[in-house]
Amino acid sequence: MDRLDFDAARAVTRRRLLAAGIAGGGAVLAGRALGADVDLRLPGGPSTRAMTSDFPQKGAMILQRARPALLETPMEVFQQSLYTPNDRFFVRWHWGDLPTSIDVETYRIRVGGHVERPLSISLAQLLRMPRIELAAVNQCSGNSRGLFEPRVPGAQWGHGAMGNAKWMGVPLRHVLDLAGVRGGAVAVRVGAMDKPLVAGAPDFEKSLALDHARDGEVMLAFAMNGEQLPLLNGFPVRLVVPGWFSTYWMKTVDAIEVLASPDENYWMAKAYKIPTAPRASVVPGSKDFPTTPINRMIPRSWITSVADGATYGYDPVLPIEGIAMGGDVGVARVEISATGGRTWEPAALGREDDRYGFRRFTARVNVPRPGRVKVMARCTNTRGETQPMEANWNPGGYMRNCVEPVIVRLT
Amino acid sequence: MRAPSLAAIVLVLIAGSLFVLVAIGGGSRDAPKPVAAGAPPARSVSVNGFALTSTAVDLPDDAATYPPGPHADLVNQRCLSCHSASMGLTQPRLTAAQWAATVEKMRDTYHAPIAPGDVPAIVSYFTTLQASKPQPAG
Repeated sequence: MDRLDFDAARAVTRRRLLAAGIAGGGAVLAGRALGADVDLRLPGGPSTRAMTSDFPQKGAMILQRARPALLETPMEVFQQSLYTPNDRFFVRWHWGDLPTSIDVETYRIRVGGHVERPLSISLAQLLRMPRIELAAVNQCSGNSRGLFEPRVPGAQWGHGAMGNAKWMGVPLRHVLDLAGVRGGAVAVRVGAMDKPLVAGAPDFEKSLALDHARDGEVMLAFAMNGEQLPLLNGFPVRLVVPGWFSTYWMKTVDAIEVLASPDENYWMAKAYKIPTAPRASVVPGSKDFPTTPINRMIPRSWITSVADGATYGYDPVLPIEGIAMGGDVGVARVEISATGGRTWEPAALGREDDRYGFRRFTARVNVPRPGRVKVMARCTNTRGETQPMEANWNPGGYMRNCVEPVIVRLT
Repeated sequence: MRAPSLAAIVLVLIAGSLFVLVAIGGGSRDAPKPVAAGAPPARSVSVNGFALTSTAVDLPDDAATYPPGPHADLVNQRCLSCHSASMGLTQPRLTAAQWAATVEKMRDTYHAPIAPGDVPAIVSYFTTLQASKPQPAG
């Protein structure tokens, strides 16, 4: 349309909200009913967020945004459990018209595009196909964006836009082989049920190179930690792309399209682009630099047994626990420093279920006298990549992976 | 009206028998779970030891609006149709140029109902709001 018609746009919005059961139907957000705000310690603020338990199939979560939902997992959840419980797993939607009702008998996944045999797959058919299960971290591209300095616009996440789960599903390769990928195909685009609220806005779709889509690990997952997914995490089927950022982990998958040419749609060609420089890092304020779609994850680690800024009773030995991830490969080692990075001691590593999952680490730090202690953990993955001390920077606030110090006071 | 053919009658009988068989438990569906009066029974598909059950949820409404200030009405009118006020209110202190880039992205890329002439007023609302807050320590 040439001219914006605001009344028409609002009517469409209202209608779609009503159709989606968003406006008028649901309970009004209680927001601060839990009474406990959380401080994400974002430099320069605003740093506090309300806790909420108002979202369906979700426990206590950090409320970043109600509509469309952005819910962050509190750090204590990662201390309590190596696998993030489904009801505490972070939530991120792009568009306000997201599905609120799924009928498992009529749900279909359409497979088409550059294939021999277009398919329409029911959930019963999907459940009959060969299954795989693996542990994998699902981490938002912009996890920890709120800690970027200088700050950048976007969802102002702390560290909790991530979670670790055991995913069970059908390898995407199996479905592609059933449809028969035709010669000349280069990519596979995945679409979902969520839709923009306004006409003409770019529908959220993402694509993977054909070889990646057919690697046997990328899967259409119907189970998360042994149960069906919460609706806000993509029930009934989401794409799992082990080792890659969440933006590719499409929720409520209902369309798979094999492409004979690269995906030039907005969400691949314009959004979620990172500098090609190592760790996606450029000098703050930079504008003209080569970019590429965000892709694999890199190592990170977090101390979870003590909270940054907190005070604890003094003991000469401070037990430290935390979680580490290698990115798209396994964790080789985690080291701990209480000397400002001058010396590093190896931490003990817990079991590895799959190289894409979280790994627990434990260590004991000697504290000669009461006072302020800075403890740091750094992870090295099996590719030899080590978390650096310095934070990266890019205008999108993507791919933070520096060492995250925790400063505690022992009295 | 023509009488139905024998084939049609046979088909209806077969279909009816199948329906009865499924209804008495011949299919793979789980027994419906007890639900609140008025709600349709949850349906399931269960194959190879895993069941998926139909799910419907109500999402909480968010009545929060942007706080008062010059052009607040415009901001509420233009920005709340797509997202909660918290999206703007949790942003760090941004320059007018950063706010303008953000608002223009909402208009040009995400098709927010924002006229070109609205951009300066919306930018002014956010920069004024942020300037009115004391710079936090640290």
